[in-house]
Amino acid sequence: MKKNPSRRDFLAAGVALPVAGIASTLRSPNWPAEQTSTPSPASPVKLSYRILGKTGLKVTTVGFGCMITSDASVVERAADLGINYFDTARVYQQGNNERMVGAALKRKRKDLFLSTKSGAAGKEAALKDLETSLRELGTDYVDIWYLHGKDGPADVTDDLLEAQRIAKQQGKIRFSGVSTHRGQLELIPWLAKNGAVDVVLTAYNFSMDKAMEAVIGEGGKAGMGVVGMKVMAGGFRRVKPSDPLAPKLKREGAMLAALKWVLNNPNVHTTIPSMTDMAQLDENLRALAEPYGPAEEKLLARQLDYISPMYCRMCGKCEGTCAKGLPVSDILRYLTYADGYGEFSLGREEFLALRTEVAEVRCRECSICTVKCPFGVKVAKRLSRAQELFG
Amino acid sequence: MNPLKLAGAMLAFASAAWAADFIDCRAVPGWAQEGLAREFVADNLFEYLDGNAEGYLIYGFTRLQNVTCKSGGDSIVIDVYEMANPEAAYGIFAANRDPNLPIAPLGMGGQILPHRAAFCKDKYYVELTASSAEDSTPALKAFVAETEKRISGRTEPPEALAWFSAEKLLFVRLIPESVLGLRLLKRGYVAQYEFGKGFVVAEASVKSASAVMAKLRERFGAPTPVKVADEAFQTKDQYLGGLCLFRKGRYLGGFANLPEPQDAAGLATALAARIP
Repeated sequence: MKKNPSRRDFLAAGVALPVAGIASTLRSPNWPAEQTSTPSPASPVKLSYRILGKTGLKVTTVGFGCMITSDASVVERAADLGINYFDTARVYQQGNNERMVGAALKRKRKDLFLSTKSGAAGKEAALKDLETSLRELGTDYVDIWYLHGKDGPADVTDDLLEAQRIAKQQGKIRFSGVSTHRGQLELIPWLAKNGAVDVVLTAYNFSMDKAMEAVIGEGGKAGMGVVGMKVMAGGFRRVKPSDPLAPKLKREGAMLAALKWVLNNPNVHTTIPSMTDMAQLDENLRALAEPYGPAEEKLLARQLDYISPMYCRMCGKCEGTCAKGLPVSDILRYLTYADGYGEFSLGREEFLALRTEVAEVRCRECSICTVKCPFGVKVAKRLSRAQELFG
Repeated sequence: MNPLKLAGAMLAFASAAWAADFIDCRAVPGWAQEGLAREFVADNLFEYLDGNAEGYLIYGFTRLQNVTCKSGGDSIVIDVYEMANPEAAYGIFAANRDPNLPIAPLGMGGQILPHRAAFCKDKYYVELTASSAEDSTPALKAFVAETEKRISGRTEPPEALAWFSAEKLLFVRLIPESVLGLRLLKRGYVAQYEFGKGFVVAEASVKSASAVMAKLRERFGAPTPVKVADEAFQTKDQYLGGLCLFRKGRYLGGFANLPEPQDAAGLATALAARIP
């Protein structure tokens, strides 16, 4: 992606996004009079805002993903500090998360933007989920209602889009959205093209395929609001305390660097990092004020090194060849389709296209692996996983 | 989980490992297993719990196996989550349970609702989800009974639960990180009362508990020392309300979100007395 060290530049670019196409929706008398949220005048934090595509909502670039937050005090303080976008979902802790978020934000509801999601497969069930969400959140409407965890156009059915249209007409949601963790390369351009929803909430981080940048740009160009999630690459939670790299990865601002990396893309309008405590909240708020720079790049390179034992770089520099004739880098690539980019079906399709005698090899039957990766990919382990996953 | 994803997941892993020991669809008359057992580990849990995996990982998820049981047009998906230990299994159960309904004596605790059921036993957390729009309680009850008896091990809930007074208690949860939203309080139990919340955090040693206590004192400015257990203080915080924190041996505990700190001190004294 284009690296722009100037915070002012990318903020300006974000605010300059088209707002003329603000979605025309029926207004509910309960919605706030203003489209924008007002930060607390007492907030000591310098907040930055971007316009969430055609919704016109002026959101703080750092929002709050409430999924794993346990204590309402953290959510409440975030709102007091001026964060104005909060996200939850029907399924988080079987609804207990919505209840906590609703209680925490009750005092400031009209000054904030709130989103939730339904993973229901059909219209009736989705609308029932929405009713439950509104009750648990203690509100008459949500600002964005996402279809939860859609992996491709086929998942975004007409039936579900109809549920969103009905909910809009009833004034129970202001804007519609789709959330996606996998299959973005196909899904986001499709959403951008057909204009079915106002916002896309997508996994987006420094460890993902570079093609994501173009895809997100396409969404932004079409006027869709783009919200980034999984901005910390998930990998940070995989770091075990016993790992020798853990102190560096966890204490030297790597998570903050990952957040800044995402915000360096002006087509991402806001982010929803998970926060469980006040310290994390303060750290994330720092991302609002500090640009992405060489120090962050160095930290993220270190994090990529950490996850490299899992991901093949497809450099073709494998040492040795497989005694059983496996096309090692190809199979690792198929696995990366599934594990790295969420394209399970593509990975499996490629794997099954291998010659039968190759596809039937099981690495666990070999006592020694004759292939070594110069970058530390655990070849035999990863090949075994591919065989179990696709075979 | 939608059917497309389920179909994809079915291809993910086919294993006759430990799920077969716990789940037998045929044990309930009229039901049979559909397809093979599926297994997921931390790296691919998101394939199954798309958008919700992190909520399980944070509690100490190890692996998941599940099967689909079918009877006519109805199906029940049985998920058996292996967690790091019994405490983690109880933790995810408590996080997901309906706090408005009582806990049933199933393993360490369980609940059976019209369309879903859950229980935890030893290091396993089991969730059953029925597809039918009708009340599936009888079938869920039968499957819970069958599955629960196949899992051996711990049936007593974590002992910390008994330390909290039952008066005006709404629920108790294991908080996997940052109790009260404070990073210093790494992991512990929070009891939600009608009037505020109590908590207990176990540190590895008296020394580390003392160190945390010192940092907490610093965090809250100049709190007022009170006589509760080995050391304690009370103060008032903008977000945590009236609070009293104490240390007893390697345990840290206290009350928060109370109208006044002095109320917290009285409650903290009672809580400390129950901690061994």
